Amino acid sequence: MGPNLLANYGEAVSAILFCIGFTNLLLQTNLIKKIIGLNIMDSAIYLFLAEKGYIAGRAAPIVADGITSTESYINPIPSGLVLTGIVVSVSVTALMLSLTIRLYTRYHTLDLDEISTQLKREGR
Amino acid sequence: MDFICNFPFFSILLSLFSGTVCSVLSAKAARIVNRVVILAVGLMSAALLFYLLSTGESFIYWMGHFPAPWGNEIRAGVLEAGMALFFCIIMYLSMAGGAHKLPSEVVESKHNLYYILVNLLLSSLLALVYTNDMFTAYVFVEINTISACGLIMIRQVGRTIEAAVRYMIMSLLGSGLLLFGLCIMYDLTGHLLMSNIKESVELIVANGEYQVPLIVSVALMCTGLCIKSALFPFHAWLPDAYGYSTVSSAAILSSLVSKGYIFLLIKIIYRVIGFSVFNSTRMIDVLFVFGLMGMIFGSLSAIKENDIRRMIAFSSVAQIGYIYMGFGMGTQAGMVASIFHILSHAATKSLLFIAAIGLTDVSGGSRKFVDLTGAAYRNKWAGAAFTVGSLSMVGIPLFSGFISKLLFAQAAVQVEGKMLASLIVLGISTVLNAVYFMKTVIRIYTSEPEAPYEGITFRNMRAYAVTLVCFILLNIILGVSSQPVVDMIGQGLAMFA
Amino acid sequence: MYLILLSILFPAAAGLFLLIRGRTPLSGEKGNTDRKTLLALTGCFLVITASLVFASLLTVKEGFTLFFLTKTLPIYFRIDGVGRLFSLLAVIVLPCAGFFSFAYMKHEERESRYYGFYLLVFGVLNGLCFAGNLITFYLFFELLTLSSMPLVLHSGSKEAVMAGLKYLFYSLCGAYAALFGIYFLYQNCDSLTFTADGALRASAITQQGGFLLLTAFVMLLGFGVKAGMFPMHAWLPTAHPVAPAPASAVLSAVIVKAGVLAIIRVLGMFGRDFLRGTWVQSGWIILTLITVFMGSLLAYREPVLKKRLAYSTVSQISYILFGLAVMNETSFTGALFHVLAHGFVKAALFLCAGAIIYKTGKTRVEEMRGIGKEMPLTMWCFTIASLGLIGIPPTGGFVSKWYLALGSLESGLPVFGVLGPVILLLSALLTAGYLLPLTIHGFFPGADYDYGSLQKKEPCKLMTVPIFILTFLSVLIGLFPNLVDGIIVMAAAGR
Repeated sequence: MGPNLLANYGEAVSAILFCIGFTNLLLQTNLIKKIIGLNIMDSAIYLFLAEKGYIAGRAAPIVADGITSTESYINPIPSGLVLTGIVVSVSVTALMLSLTIRLYTRYHTLDLDEISTQLKREGR
Repeated sequence: MDFICNFPFFSILLSLFSGTVCSVLSAKAARIVNRVVILAVGLMSAALLFYLLSTGESFIYWMGHFPAPWGNEIRAGVLEAGMALFFCIIMYLSMAGGAHKLPSEVVESKHNLYYILVNLLLSSLLALVYTNDMFTAYVFVEINTISACGLIMIRQVGRTIEAAVRYMIMSLLGSGLLLFGLCIMYDLTGHLLMSNIKESVELIVANGEYQVPLIVSVALMCTGLCIKSALFPFHAWLPDAYGYSTVSSAAILSSLVSKGYIFLLIKIIYRVIGFSVFNSTRMIDVLFVFGLMGMIFGSLSAIKENDIRRMIAFSSVAQIGYIYMGFGMGTQAGMVASIFHILSHAATKSLLFIAAIGLTDVSGGSRKFVDLTGAAYRNKWAGAAFTVGSLSMVGIPLFSGFISKLLFAQAAVQVEGKMLASLIVLGISTVLNAVYFMKTVIRIYTSEPEAPYEGITFRNMRAYAVTLVCFILLNIILGVSSQPVVDMIGQGLAMFA
Repeated sequence: MYLILLSILFPAAAGLFLLIRGRTPLSGEKGNTDRKTLLALTGCFLVITASLVFASLLTVKEGFTLFFLTKTLPIYFRIDGVGRLFSLLAVIVLPCAGFFSFAYMKHEERESRYYGFYLLVFGVLNGLCFAGNLITFYLFFELLTLSSMPLVLHSGSKEAVMAGLKYLFYSLCGAYAALFGIYFLYQNCDSLTFTADGALRASAITQQGGFLLLTAFVMLLGFGVKAGMFPMHAWLPTAHPVAPAPASAVLSAVIVKAGVLAIIRVLGMFGRDFLRGTWVQSGWIILTLITVFMGSLLAYREPVLKKRLAYSTVSQISYILFGLAVMNETSFTGALFHVLAHGFVKAALFLCAGAIIYKTGKTRVEEMRGIGKEMPLTMWCFTIASLGLIGIPPTGGFVSKWYLALGSLESGLPVFGVLGPVILLLSALLTAGYLLPLTIHGFFPGADYDYGSLQKKEPCKLMTVPIFILTFLSVLIGLFPNLVDGIIVMAAAGR
């Protein structure tokens, strides 16, 4: 386990980051902190993908200087996935933020538990 | 390749495109577009289903004619086409059944937004059903989440926004796990297309390499989808989300959205990991145990509930438990039972939601049981429909619920270690179901038959009544002639391999 | 085959028609005509159904499959001996009680609902008797519970609703326990079509004999709920007093018998040879004997007449179950005979109780002093029926109890062979103890009875005639047991 972990430090770091983000998203009561947790979680995954997609000594897959051998470029798909993922995560974050604003204007708090108690008090 | 092979692609694109178009249309036009699109997609799926049944084999459609392993693929088999058809039917009926309530639930100016969301939801469901590419699946899972969240919160009450936020959070946790699992899988195999991943997974398993990462990846994907489909310990968001959104949304969410994720999980089990590999992981036991717990705790929460719509929502938790129990058995028969239960539950639960709204409407809009006394006399159609739905849920023969319970039991009897546990829990949960559903049925039928509630006759509720009748028929058809459906499911699963 | 189908579907359709038509009779002139049409319709439906059933009993020989629920589970109908016996009981008791309700239900509300469900129950009962395999049987068993529940909670009072719910949950729990067994049977039998001598595969018996015994016991308990077998008998005394009297009569005389029919079917599926001498048999006999004794004892102590009769049903049904549990020809014959005898007698008793309640409003036994002076005809019928229940010749009850005791003694079972008849005898004494005082105080109210306020309260013909018929039948089968001998022999032989 030890040497494997050292060799794959990129994965290890991203896994740890993922856990941090995950717990934040799950356990924080403050909505903004939750959203930050969400972003950490997603970034961890993109880090993982990017780390995996990079091969030492190869260039980004943009043909320059007339070199066409596939050996000298990295596979573009992981990078493409990261880009797609970022788009998705941005839209989700935007939606979450807008919901948060809605809740804040209605209940003047960002604390989800407190909102629940207020709702119970409203009795609806 | 026949022209008909384009249909899956067409149906996804059509619903996606119509969603965009709806944004510039008036509410009425948007509604018509929405209905027409659902119908068209349903017809296409039906045609596709017949085509596939006649050819007897599935096909793979290359998007933009890029071959594997680079291109994006769509795959259609009997099961996919059947699911798509069924989703369309349920969605159409749910929309029709809830249409008369929409003006009072959603601000007039937002109606076209509502139809955009429904169309988007349909397209993402279709994509989840048809896609052969894991990353596409992930993207559409997110689209599905976003549109479902929109459907919950479009009714602007405090509760729904809170429910939407909770739903979003749980869903995001789920999709995060799914994405991470998927990336590990990609890391292990170097592919994103399901068929290619499966080949590599078989190689990996045969060589005995990377056991731990493989299991981690499988576990992450499963957990992610379980969270998203509200398996027992992750169901906290569900009652509010289903209980307070608009009628159509509640019906669609409970019967389709969670089922889309479950269907994706089935695809992952069969087409990505491989059924035998999946069965050799501990994951099935975990699913089994949580399924059983869901069956009991869902029903217990439903019994305690004092609000008819939240009660129905909690009963969904129990029903999803059934489905996962079927997965957990780890046999073909269990899987067939689960898939049949997806259909039967979808048909029944949307019926219950739609019928419940008819009952609450004639009780001064209150959903408390006390006020519902005698509601079935005030709205006879809704009362009859609710009774049928309840009987089906309780598992009375001739209704769809009985067949799915029968299939589960038959599957359970074949599995040595899990037989007793599943049969006992099945029995307990059925009795619990009976407790709360029959209690409600009796409640809505007791009291003096007063003068019929103003204006509830067949004439002014024609669309609503017809919808209910269609739902009832669907339920009885599934209950009486289940064999063709079961055969089709078996055939579809065989095509998966 | 169409006859069978018609005799099930016609009453069901008629019932649904009445339910949907659903107009409640208004008061006044219009209400009166409304009520008359309703009664005329119901009467016609009842007569037509009864004749359909008789016709199918006489003519139909072949079984037929209606459709396949799943590939290997057909919905299959067939008339065999046991089914014929039970259907005979139903087809006599239901119209009688139905006509009785025409008078009894006059002042109750929502009559059309009552008659609608009454006809539904009739149809479902026919289906139950004609079912040819276990899954068809289960289908109608569940439907029977559901359609008879509205009869129990008819009055709509809180008490009645709670009683209805109790009935529902007991029955459903029982049915699910039985369903649990059906799954196993399905796994270990070639088909679920009824037989009288065991359908289990030989290999299954050797491999999982112990498990199958457990299954059998669970199924017996499950179906025993409907038959009011201890420890799941509590719904009977709750449900009977709140239900309208004719409904209680049907409930007690016929619907409870559905549990007995179920147990006969289960016994046939497992085969008596498989169960004989096992712990299942002894356990079952113990339960039935406890029920027989306990039911009588509770009835003895019960002051409310209808509740007393309900406890008596608990006890008497277990006579039948005891006869089945002994598992030999003689006791089986006795049990089948008792099905008929108890059916007629108990229906008559409940109708008498109904007539008393209807005319005087008295429900407790001690209030009924001198009732025989007020309603002599009714009380005479009550007395004769009581004698039938106690088992005094020449009534039907005597014949059946004779066979039961004889069978038990013949069986050579250790302990129970002798203990059984003793308990039956004791219980018969208790039966006399709880039924005869009614007659005695009814006809001989004692010296301090105020004869001045005596009024003739004899009910109308619609009430007395059904009571007459049922009482007459109970005596008739006692006097000429060979009238029903043929059918019982056929049933006992499993044809």
